[in-house]
Amino acid sequence: MANEAEETVRKLSAHKGVVGVVVVNGEGIPIKTTLDNHISVQYAGLMTALIDKAKAVVRDLDPSNDLTFLRIRSKKSEVMVAPDKDFILIVVQNPVE
Amino acid sequence: MSSMSDRKAELERKKAKLQALREEKDRRRREKEQKDAEEALQRASAASSLDSRRDLDEMLSSLGVAPVKDVLSSLSSMTSLTPPQTSSPDASLPHTDKSSLPASGGPKKPTQLQVVSVQSTDIPPKENVTYAKQTQTTASGVSELRDGYMEDWWRPRKAHATDYYVLTFDGDVARQGDEEDAAFHGKLPPGILPHGLPTVKEVQPAVTAAPPEKKDDEKEKKVRELSADEKQTILLSSEFQRFMSRAGRVIERALAESVDIYTDYTGGGDGENALDDKSDARLSLVRTFYDERWSRGRCVTCLDWSTAHPELMLASYHNSDDAPHDPDGVCLVWNTKFKKNTPEDIFHCQSPVMSATFARFHPNLILGGTYSGQIVLWDNRVQKRTPIKRTPLSSLAHTHPVYCLSVVGSQNAHNLISVSTDGRLCSWSLDMLSQPQETLDLQHRQSKAVAVTSMGFPHGLVNNFVLGSEDGNVYTGCLYGQRAGVTECVEAHAGPVTGVSCHAAAGAVDLAHLYLTCSMDWSVKLWSLKENKPLYSFEDNGDYVVDVRWSPTHPALFAAADAAGKLDLWNLNRDTEVPVASIQAEGGVAFNRVSWTPSGSHVTAGDDHGKIWVYELAEHVAQPRHDEWSKFVYTLQELRNNQADEESERVSLAASGPSSLTSLTSLASNPLR
Repeated sequence: MANEAEETVRKLSAHKGVVGVVVVNGEGIPIKTTLDNHISVQYAGLMTALIDKAKAVVRDLDPSNDLTFLRIRSKKSEVMVAPDKDFILIVVQNPVE
Repeated sequence: MSSMSDRKAELERKKAKLQALREEKDRRRREKEQKDAEEALQRASAASSLDSRRDLDEMLSSLGVAPVKDVLSSLSSMTSLTPPQTSSPDASLPHTDKSSLPASGGPKKPTQLQVVSVQSTDIPPKENVTYAKQTQTTASGVSELRDGYMEDWWRPRKAHATDYYVLTFDGDVARQGDEEDAAFHGKLPPGILPHGLPTVKEVQPAVTAAPPEKKDDEKEKKVRELSADEKQTILLSSEFQRFMSRAGRVIERALAESVDIYTDYTGGGDGENALDDKSDARLSLVRTFYDERWSRGRCVTCLDWSTAHPELMLASYHNSDDAPHDPDGVCLVWNTKFKKNTPEDIFHCQSPVMSATFARFHPNLILGGTYSGQIVLWDNRVQKRTPIKRTPLSSLAHTHPVYCLSVVGSQNAHNLISVSTDGRLCSWSLDMLSQPQETLDLQHRQSKAVAVTSMGFPHGLVNNFVLGSEDGNVYTGCLYGQRAGVTECVEAHAGPVTGVSCHAAAGAVDLAHLYLTCSMDWSVKLWSLKENKPLYSFEDNGDYVVDVRWSPTHPALFAAADAAGKLDLWNLNRDTEVPVASIQAEGGVAFNRVSWTPSGSHVTAGDDHGKIWVYELAEHVAQPRHDEWSKFVYTLQELRNNQADEESERVSLAASGPSSLTSLTSLASNPLR
C-alpha cells in the first residue's frame, strides 16, 4: 500500500515542469518530499499557514463551503496545493514552456 | 371561657381517677403474682408426687391460674434475682435444665496443651488512602522527584538546587512507614485531614520546571524532521493512502491542463501552421496510453468504454515476460478527458485478463475474464487493486480461458454473459458470482465444442448472439428459449476468427442484422444474419486482421486493425475497394484490439507491447450526414447485385476457371505463414 503513495509522488514529480512535491501532515511537518530539506520545511510552514487562512476565508464567506484546491501563480513558478483534513499535498511547477 | 375551664377541670379529674384505677390494678396484680410464686415455690419444695401436682394443676387451671409448670419456667429466668434453688427437680423441668446447664459451664474439662506448628500467612494491612488537596500535589511531586532522581542519579546534586522546601500535611508518609500512623489514619473517615504536626518535605515546583522543557521539545520537532518510524506509520495509515490517491489525481489533472491563461493574441503567432496541417488529415495520432510499470510488454487483450463516464476507457492486458514478479493480469482505466498520461485506476489479478468490461448499470464495477477461467470483479470505490469478488474455478463454471465477456439486458434485468474457449456459455447475476445462473454448452450438431474466440450481440436483439471460433466458422444462436444454443453455422474464414462486430449505429433504417468478422486469413467480411453467404469480403490487408469494429455513430464506417500495425478506416458509402484512411503505427508494433470512443470521433488501438494508440478522426469522416443510412442501404443492394453478377459470370466462365477464385485460393493458402 505504501508504494502506491510513493508511486503517486514519483508520478507527479516525473511530470514535465514539476520542480518538487511535498506532502505535509496536519501539524505542518513535511512527511514526504522531493525537495531539499530546508526548502520543504519552509514550504510546509508557509503553506500550512496560508491554507489555514484560505480555509477561514472560504468558510467565513459561506459556512457550508470548504476549500478544496489552491493555485498560486507567480512570475517564476506555480504552486498547486491540495488540502485535506489531515494532510496537504504541495506541487511546485515551472510554467509550461 | 368558664365552660372551657370547667371542661378542663373535669378532664383533669377523670385523668386522676383513671390513674388511681390503673395503680390499684397494678398493685393487685403484683400481690397476686407474689402470692402465686410463693405458693408455687412452697409446693415445689414440698416435692409432692406427680399425681397430686396434676390434680393441683387441674384445680388451678379451673380457677384461671396458670399451671405450676409454666410459672416455674417463667421463674427460672429470674433465678439470678431469686435465691438459688438447690433442690429443683430435674424431671419436671427438662427445658430449664438444658438451657441452664451449659451456661453454668458445668462440665469443665481440664485442657491439655500441645505444641502445634501453625502455618502463618502474611496479609498486608489494608491500605487506607485519604485524600486532600495538599496530599495529592505532594504525592505527585514526590514520585516525580523520585523518578527524576532515579534517572538523574549520576548528575551532580546541584541539579536539585532549585527544589523547594514545602510544608505539607503528608498522608503519604503513613503509607510508606509508620504502622501506628496507618492505623490511626485508617480510623479517620475519608476526606478528613489527619491532624498532627506538619512535616517538612522536598517538593519540586509542579508547574515551572517540567512543562517548559516539553514545549521546547515540540518546537524542536517542528524544526527537525520526523523520525523514519513516525513517517512510516503515517505513510502506512489508510487515511494517508486515501488522501494521496485523491489529491494525487487532482494535482495530476491540474498539471495536465496545459491551457495557458496568459496567452497573448496580440503578439505574433507561430503555432498556427501546425494546426492547419492537422486538420487536413483524416486520421491522426493524438496521444498514447502507456504505463512503464503496468503495461510495458503486455499485449492489450480487450478495450471497453464506460457508459456512465464516456471518457473512461478500460484496457485489459496479458502477462509480461519482463515482469515475472508482477501479477499476470492487469486492467487499467485510462482517462481521455484529461491530458495526464497515467492510468486513472490500476487493477490486477493472478491470471492474465483476456477480456474485460465495465459492468453496465453499475458504474463502479469492472469485470474481467481470465485465462484461468475465473471471472473477477473489481470495484473502483475500494482502495484495493485486487478483485473484490471472483467466480469459483469449478466444473460448474469455466475451466478454460474466457475470451468473451459482456453485460446484456436492461437496467432491471441484466446478466453477465461469459464464454470460454471450451464452448461453455455462462450467464451470471452480478449479485451472485458463486455460481452461474445458467450454463450452456455450445456445440454444433452434437459433434464438438465450439472454441469461441469472439462474440457479438446484435444491437437491440438481446437473445441472439454471433460467435467467431478458432476453426474459422461463425456461429449464430440464441441465449434463451427452447432452441437455446447454436442454431446456425457458417464456414466463414480459412483461419481463426479474431473479431466479430455487430452493426452499432442505430438510425432510421434497421441494420441490426449486419455484422463484420475478421480473421487470420487476412480478410474482413460483411455478413447479414438473414443470409449465410458473406455480403462482401474486404481483402486489402497484408497480415492477420486482428480486430474490426463498427463506428457507433456512422452507419457505413468501420475500423479494422492488423498485426502489421496498420489501422484502416472503411466507409462503405465512399468506397468498398480501399479504406478511406489508413495509418501505420510506428515502432513495428502489431495491433491486437481496436475500439471507438462512444462519440465516434476517436479510434483507439491496443498493441502487443502494451501501448494504446488514440487516433482522432477528421470531423467530416466521423460524423454521418443525415442521408448516410439510406445511402448505405443502396450500397448494400449494389453489393448484392455485384455478387449476383459475379456468380453468373462464374457460371458462364466455369470452363475457363474464374480468376477471382484462384486469387481467393492463393490468398487462403498464404495467410498461415
